[in-house]
Amino acid sequence: MKIRWLLVTSPLTLLSLCGQDGATRADWPSYGGTHLAWRYSALDQINTANVKKLAPAWAFQTGDFDQGLQSTPIVIDGILYLSTTHSQVFALDAATGKMIWQYKYPMPRAGGNIQNRGLAVGAGRVYVGTYDDYVVAIDQKTGVESWKVAMNDSRQCGCSITAAPLFVKDKVIVGVAGGGAFRGYLTALDAKTGRVAWRFYTIPGPGEKGNETWKGDSWKYGGGATWMTGSFDAALNLVYWGVGNAASDMYSANRYSGQGEGSNLYTASVIALDADTGKLKWYYQEIPKDVWDYDSAYECLLIDREVRGVMRKLLVHINKSGYSWVLDRTNGKFLGAYPIVDYHNWLTGITEDGKILGRVEPVENKTTLICPGPDGGKSWNQVAYSPRTGFMYTPTLEICSDLMAREQEPVEGRGFIGGTWNHRSPADQPAYSHIDAYDPVTGKRMWSMRYKYSLLASMLATAGDLVFTGDPEGNFFALDARTGNKLWSFQTGGGHRGSAVSYSVKGRQYIATPTGWGSIAGRAMVALWPEAETFRPGSTLMVFALPEGAQ
Amino acid sequence: MLAFAQSEPRGLDVFNKSCATGYCHGEKGMPGGAPRLAARGFDDAYVSQTVRVGIPGTGMPAFGTTLDRADLLAVVAYVDGLNGVTPPPNPFAAGPERRRLAPDAQRGRQLFADQVRAFARCSSCHQADGIGIAVAVPFSLVPENVAALRRIATPEIETATFEGDSFPALVLNKSGAQTKLYDLKTLPPVLRTVPKNSVTFQSGSTWRHEAMLASYNDQELEAILVFLRAVVSQR
Repeated sequence: MKIRWLLVTSPLTLLSLCGQDGATRADWPSYGGTHLAWRYSALDQINTANVKKLAPAWAFQTGDFDQGLQSTPIVIDGILYLSTTHSQVFALDAATGKMIWQYKYPMPRAGGNIQNRGLAVGAGRVYVGTYDDYVVAIDQKTGVESWKVAMNDSRQCGCSITAAPLFVKDKVIVGVAGGGAFRGYLTALDAKTGRVAWRFYTIPGPGEKGNETWKGDSWKYGGGATWMTGSFDAALNLVYWGVGNAASDMYSANRYSGQGEGSNLYTASVIALDADTGKLKWYYQEIPKDVWDYDSAYECLLIDREVRGVMRKLLVHINKSGYSWVLDRTNGKFLGAYPIVDYHNWLTGITEDGKILGRVEPVENKTTLICPGPDGGKSWNQVAYSPRTGFMYTPTLEICSDLMAREQEPVEGRGFIGGTWNHRSPADQPAYSHIDAYDPVTGKRMWSMRYKYSLLASMLATAGDLVFTGDPEGNFFALDARTGNKLWSFQTGGGHRGSAVSYSVKGRQYIATPTGWGSIAGRAMVALWPEAETFRPGSTLMVFALPEGAQ
Repeated sequence: MLAFAQSEPRGLDVFNKSCATGYCHGEKGMPGGAPRLAARGFDDAYVSQTVRVGIPGTGMPAFGTTLDRADLLAVVAYVDGLNGVTPPPNPFAAGPERRRLAPDAQRGRQLFADQVRAFARCSSCHQADGIGIAVAVPFSLVPENVAALRRIATPEIETATFEGDSFPALVLNKSGAQTKLYDLKTLPPVLRTVPKNSVTFQSGSTWRHEAMLASYNDQELEAILVFLRAVVSQR
């Protein structure tokens, strides 16, 4: 039984979008472009007609190359801000690449979950999370540290901050990453002083609603990391964030109580919080009793679109399970879900009210082939959305895994996975990936581009009707947003695991992309493609523009 | 060889739970999110060192502080085996046996850094036995009893005024153009850097150590003192 139900979108929908503006212009002010996370630039100087003339304008090597360059640059008033693996921050002239200042965070004296995916800028400061679980604010003009505050003891929780913070009104909102035995949270800090304004624990404590969904003391170590960056709807004053899987990931007998509505709340959920108080407005648990490490930590795409004849404020959200969820972002109501992967055997379908049917769960001490595997039908690299085409552009992986659950005791500061996996190809063909254009409401695939390795870089859409991204072999390329035809490609010399942006300085449009291979999912490719062992780490920002006079 | 054969099941178990977690190495040392470990030509010294201290700046953590001695020896022997190496008869992998805290001191340690209390715990400002955030200077004396702990005076905390906002501050550095101080108005303390000529100070503050102990009862504070006596070398 496979239930995949389609929602009907009329062509008029696109015409009625004018109320919502998720596009960036000269600046790229926030991780997802704007707070709506479209990763869409309204700049159209570079377009389908002239993109073949696109050429390098400048490059910047950070020197901090372990784990590659996974960041999203922020650009404000002609200055580009960039963070690297070990929370080093650079301010560069966005037109020339000349360094204005550098902030050097102390290098780690130990190993751990060390990666960095970006920063936030606002109220005269640049904000970055660190591998040892601090948030640092840096003076935007001088590069001098303004404040620094510990969110947790990283040695105790085994956690770190890998995601870019989100600047909202007068606050910096920051999540936490880690596969250890700890209790997840989302914290808002006063942008000026660094003082904690509110903290929301993603696992309710004793006496709070939802705590009954946890067995015994398991809520203390239950995971629920907020390891990517959320979104914000200013009109509703709601912050949206994806919450990761429960811990231990694959072994649930010690955490699943069977009590209450949902299970192991608020893991594997999307949460909506009041931006001023951090109070929970609504939640939607996509995967009750997640035993596949399907997480739900990814980006929340906020779009207004018509659903069955009614204009609605939507939140479109993909998790690792290879499905995309469509929710009403005013109240968390489930409106639909559709697969984005070709191979998915962990379920037989999702009902009209969001229930998962035909679950195939990992078992203890025995392997089960499950698609997609815990690296996900999509990794954390982000989708883009173009209001011109109405399409969502999605990087998708077709990788299965032999999953095994193992009972494990939580130990402070240590990993708490409760199982393991080995990557496998789908049953009848080698693993692959693809970029697709979707109607984000119905899940109708409008075009698709296939690729032989994992695509692990974010998508960038522009009003020039182009979609930019890069591949592990070092190619950075532009696709026609309407057809998927490849219009331009450039060999950057390093694999792509970051997020490209677009901006303009003095009327000239630039496309900037991080290059340099690394990350957990990047290294894990070796299990499927031995030649991936030769992919080199690096950390270079490459910036492209049309040659002077060619605009 | 006998030692290796005996330790292998334990080594395999430790490896599977601590190393072969999918995100990190694969089973039997196959590549996963972290590199392949089998047939890499590693020798025992390299494996021992890496397992114990990790590789700073990378994803490889130090297991010397989290695994007990027998588990360390067993997992090193297992990885040695993946590389066709037999551990020497007197392996140095684990170093000396780790000090074990008595049960009441262990309970004090847990309370000192109790995750359930959010920021209202000792470890928000103090570091001991390798846990906690070192805002305050390292412990050199442990109060005699709970009453003395509550009475601790903090004349070093001043009242800072910056941008019209007054707050209790622990000043680290007043020399130079920038003043570094811990803002203690809320928990956790914030290390702030402010231009020297824009901040003024008054001696003393309304900040009280006793108020920071509010989440603990006397019995819990006594356990914390037992822990501190066990781990602090008092001068």
